Amino acid sequence: MTAKDQDYAKKIVTYLDRGTAELKAGTAYRLQLGRQEALARLADPKRAADLRLAGANAGGGSGTTGVDRPLWASGRLWIGIALIAAAAFGFQQWQVYQQLKDIEETDAAILSSDLPIDAYLDRGFQNWLKHAVDE
Amino acid sequence: MGFAHRTDPLLASYQEISAFLAEVERRAFKQAMFAVRDEHSALDVVQDAMLKLTEKYSEKPAAELPMLFQRILQNTIHDHFRRQKVRSTWTTLLSALGKGDEKDDDFDPLETLSAKSDSNANADPAQLLEQGQIMAIIEQALGRLPARQREAFLLRYWEELDVAETAAAMGCSEGSVKTHCSRAVHALALMLKAKGVTL
Repeated sequence: MTAKDQDYAKKIVTYLDRGTAELKAGTAYRLQLGRQEALARLADPKRAADLRLAGANAGGGSGTTGVDRPLWASGRLWIGIALIAAAAFGFQQWQVYQQLKDIEETDAAILSSDLPIDAYLDRGFQNWLKHAVDE
Repeated sequence: MGFAHRTDPLLASYQEISAFLAEVERRAFKQAMFAVRDEHSALDVVQDAMLKLTEKYSEKPAAELPMLFQRILQNTIHDHFRRQKVRSTWTTLLSALGKGDEKDDDFDPLETLSAKSDSNANADPAQLLEQGQIMAIIEQALGRLPARQREAFLLRYWEELDVAETAAAMGCSEGSVKTHCSRAVHALALMLKAKGVTL
């Protein structure tokens, strides 16, 4: 880099500085808010930890929970998992019971119903009936 | 150890970090804008960088803050592009009609400039207009530089880091920093000359 290059770079930087001085008010305000948030976490590490935990629990939302334990150590989590598992097991048992009940009802209906008229006209059935009686 | 109980005089105080962030935030935003070309993304990048600095690196001496912050900022910008790449991959997979990032084509640096402030009310309007136009052309030219050249130029001349600090912030050798800076200045000079701008 020559001295001439450095002078040229400095002139460019002068214009860049002017550009930053004339930032839109809304942009400057959002930068200020971001800085204040960063400094708030610096001043209060516990709040920062709470905010991180709240963010993890709420998918990026803000707010504090006041909980210091990790998520996996939460009793509510394990109770929830147990309830879901119990509900899934109960549903599966109910489905098996319903299937057995349907089969029973179908069998009972077949056995208790009258013999269809076609059966009396079927020679094969007549032969089978005669042999079955003889035996 | 809580921040309020800090006793080591070498470590940055709350006031020093606050003053540092206040001083650097606008330039950081502009740097992010040159890279990501979207105001909301640039603001997110700067905020993420400030949060990372205060959460993870506040136990550092005040003298190290500029280099550390620049390193965090560059990494955050790179993370932004990584996430964008993953998102665009999924978008392409899910939609054959994806048209890509049209914002790049529509980017107009003039939109990033604010209206003239009241402090310039007495200045020559023609001169103000000319300066505004030059500023826009310079920002546009910076946006067109290769990313590494732009990083080196901004860190070295705008952030006034020395060659070693710039190399540390960029994760490259000092020789590479010098090369990037030299190429950046020459490329900028050519682009500005082509637009009829003489500094």
